[in-house]
Amino acid sequence: MKSRSIAALCLVAVLAAVVAASTPGATKKATANSITVWLQVDAQSGWPDVVAAATKQFQSDHPGTSVNVQYQNWGDHLQKFDATLAGGSGPDVIEMGNTEMTKYMAAGAFADISSARASFDNSANWLKGLAASARYGGKTYGVPYYAGSRVVTYRSDLYKKAGISKLPATTAQYVADAKKLAAKNGKKGFSPVYIAGTDWYVAMGFVFDYGGGIATQISGKWKGLLSSPQSIAGLTAYKNFFNSTSRASKTTDETHPNPYDVYAQGQAASIVGPSWFSCCVGAKFKGSTAQFVMPGRLKGKAMPGFLGGSDLAVPANSSNKALATDWMKDFTSTASEKALQAKGNIPNATNLLGSSVNERAASRSWFVPTAKHWVDVENGNVLRNMLAQILSGKLTVKQAAASASDNIASVLNQS
Amino acid sequence: MSRRSRSRARQTGWDIVGVIVFIVMVFPVFWMISTAFKPDDEIVSLTPTWVSLHPTLAHFRDAINRPYFWQDVRNSLIVVLATVVISIILAFLAAVALARYRFRARTLFIVLVIGIQMLPQAGLIIPLYVVLARFHQVNALTGLVVTYMTFVLPFCVWMLRGFLLGIPKDLEEAAMVDGSTRLGVFVKILLPLMGPGLVATSVFAFITTWNEYIFARVLLNDQSKQTVTVWLSYFLGTSRHTDWGALMAASTLTAIPVVIFFLIVQRRIAFGLTAGAVRG
Amino acid sequence: MQETPSTAIAAGTQASRRRRRSRGRFLQAATPYLLIAPVVIVIAVILGYPLYWLGKLSTERYGLFELIQHAGTSIGLDNYRSVLHDEIFWRTLLRTVIFTAVIVGLTMTIGMALALLLVRVSRPVRLLLSSGLILVWSMPVVVAVQVWYWMTNFQNGVVNHVLTQLHVGDYFQHDWYATTFSQLGMVSLLIIWGALPFVAITLYAGLAQVPADLVEAAEVDGARPWRVFVDITLPIIKPILLILTSLSIIWDFGVFTQPYLLIQQSKIHAGNYLMSIYLFEEGYFKSDFGRGAAISVLMLAIVAILSIVYVRRMVRIGNEA
Repeated sequence: MKSRSIAALCLVAVLAAVVAASTPGATKKATANSITVWLQVDAQSGWPDVVAAATKQFQSDHPGTSVNVQYQNWGDHLQKFDATLAGGSGPDVIEMGNTEMTKYMAAGAFADISSARASFDNSANWLKGLAASARYGGKTYGVPYYAGSRVVTYRSDLYKKAGISKLPATTAQYVADAKKLAAKNGKKGFSPVYIAGTDWYVAMGFVFDYGGGIATQISGKWKGLLSSPQSIAGLTAYKNFFNSTSRASKTTDETHPNPYDVYAQGQAASIVGPSWFSCCVGAKFKGSTAQFVMPGRLKGKAMPGFLGGSDLAVPANSSNKALATDWMKDFTSTASEKALQAKGNIPNATNLLGSSVNERAASRSWFVPTAKHWVDVENGNVLRNMLAQILSGKLTVKQAAASASDNIASVLNQS
Repeated sequence: MSRRSRSRARQTGWDIVGVIVFIVMVFPVFWMISTAFKPDDEIVSLTPTWVSLHPTLAHFRDAINRPYFWQDVRNSLIVVLATVVISIILAFLAAVALARYRFRARTLFIVLVIGIQMLPQAGLIIPLYVVLARFHQVNALTGLVVTYMTFVLPFCVWMLRGFLLGIPKDLEEAAMVDGSTRLGVFVKILLPLMGPGLVATSVFAFITTWNEYIFARVLLNDQSKQTVTVWLSYFLGTSRHTDWGALMAASTLTAIPVVIFFLIVQRRIAFGLTAGAVRG
Repeated sequence: MQETPSTAIAAGTQASRRRRRSRGRFLQAATPYLLIAPVVIVIAVILGYPLYWLGKLSTERYGLFELIQHAGTSIGLDNYRSVLHDEIFWRTLLRTVIFTAVIVGLTMTIGMALALLLVRVSRPVRLLLSSGLILVWSMPVVVAVQVWYWMTNFQNGVVNHVLTQLHVGDYFQHDWYATTFSQLGMVSLLIIWGALPFVAITLYAGLAQVPADLVEAAEVDGARPWRVFVDITLPIIKPILLILTSLSIIWDFGVFTQPYLLIQQSKIHAGNYLMSIYLFEEGYFKSDFGRGAAISVLMLAIVAILSIVYVRRMVRIGNEA
């Protein structure tokens, strides 16, 4: 009857709660017999074996200590981290995006590992951009993990059909090739070079190629560089490049849609992005896809590419700092980095670099200002808004650049 | 036209409207399921395909084989069932107090119940984590259940009170004159009449708890303890390729338990019956 | 009068009956408190500290550095002053109020219509429609946003395809997220679509409480369907309607997931902020927890003011019962 079924349901609920509470580890505290590692989900899907190998190495050096690897999402891992900074029970090792590091280093979130720096493999040859993102106030707080740059993924069959025999050595040549491709592929919405309007990673490459910059620190104060003549020349070059080669939306970013989806639809002859784009070009075009380094303004020099990447750090409130540092040593050892390289990533040291397209593109790179408030500039979409205004014609290049430059300087100079 | 055929025509007219509304409302769900069965090239193609002529189960297989799928489904079921059952019982008691009794703290309690629902949840994440960490309830399903109860209870109390107010007091008073106790009145008179209200409220509590994301994300660390909504987020949390087919398949899978729950309880909302009170 | 044994016994029984009655009355008075105790305890234990934390932090300077040190510096009402002097706060507030009014209005109207439709249709169609509503309701919000985005995406969204095929216009690669109005319009449609099942089903459950004989009697008397609805149905489902409206206002004012995920982080800026996104961006994304706490408190106050009319009416109805 009704009361009986209610009683039954109550029993189920209580049993469920008991089962849940008695699930092993429900009240486990971090002990010296285990460390917790937070890596991004990219590692879980891309190179779980590399993680396992590092853990195995660690456990042979520290028998009895288990490693609990918990995978995080890029979208909310910082929110989770903030909660653990406030309430404890956080990780002993955490993977941070290289643009995320400075803010947390400035706030004292990480342990100082300067003394252990020399004991990491290849630390003398760490990639400059990555190593800089792990240093603050003269101290080292992080270990470079891996990097990625940007290359051009293109349809060799379409290039052949358009009569392009040589890959472009300058941006001007690339634009000329794009015109040939457009002539042979008149389908509505087809882009010889698909670049999203507000893809600031590509746009800033032009700025740096022309000798400009985003911001620089002069005697402690940040000064915006986007309004300099070189930067404006670079932005104008980007605007012209976009208008002659891309039919993407002027206001949307580089993940909506994903360039490789546009490519897979047959609506793009080439796309600019990370080298792993080649994974997802669709079965139809897989065989006729190749990559080359995006050319810069001057012959023989690559377009400066954004060196994205991750660092590893030990939170200051960890109770297993020594063990955490040892695990990081094993995960960034020469063998481990070589394994990451084999999966298509750029390893963390110059002496390990090979000659894949990805790594050649990293020869000329740029990075964001290492300011503790840079994250706020990125989150405030200052650069994206500037590009949208320029491309849609709402503002001239000079106006948009000047306003963005002032905005960036004021945000970076916040206390 | 005879009166009968006129009313039959009217009935058919309403039925057609009902079917059209169904199609419009359900279209996104249909699109999700249809995409789950499409091969990758059809998903990205410029011209959309309505129903794939080459359906594939690859996406479903991919989704189920992702790490911790079955554990996370089990965790979700435990958390949700515990939350819903306990919350409905406690909320019903409180709703009876609000709807049938006069007591001094009544307005204060109402303010509390409504006020909780107005709290912006974003602001509560960090302090809630701190509280639960102190009781060692971080990374534990019980911690999540208690958290969910806190947010579900006020809503349930509010809803059940509304349904209770719709039931006239004279029925209870007549029963008490006949000699039954207060408790007897609740069980024999109120509960059956509350059937539709209890079910609607519990369905809402079930769905809200099943689909909750941010607290589950922050409070549960071990992937073996997470709920299925957190499991789902991994499809989108990578900085690499987003597999739309697998995401749609995974989403379809996570929706199934809710549909099953509803099908079990739907009779109580008098959908199939010529509803006792309303003309069908 | 001389006390006889019988009067003594009678007096004794009367006294014990009085004691029993006052004990009974005490139990009667204590019952409601016992009934609400479990709910109050759960809420107090879990939310007590967070509410105190929000209040305290709203008067402190509390950023990431202070979070790690577990200590902030008191700055009085400076956080509140900075927020109330922020032009963006006021513009966002106005935008959110209009946004909420439109969504709640449409949700309740269409929801009521759907509930009445459910009554009207024949049984198999009713099962079909209700199952459809449940399917919609059962989709997690995150999933619904992704599907919605997928259907309206710039490159190959099916919505663009259908609109072009139906010759409504040329919607080839129409960007539904180019302007603020279009962005918020899409978000509104998504929220209303997601909210309809709950409103419709709850109202249908409420309609089930309307006595059929009353309706039939009115119709036999020749009353038109609109009059029947207003005079008989509406008063009975009024409590439910008020509850749903007040809840909708509260939820829609603070809605976060749909706008944040549909418009996407890269397109969010001060010109298309909604209150919850403003709170998130200004408070938590920038790790300015003190400011975030102040905005939370302000938001709570605003929602309370907005929904006071409905809540008051709800409480009054309850008190009349």
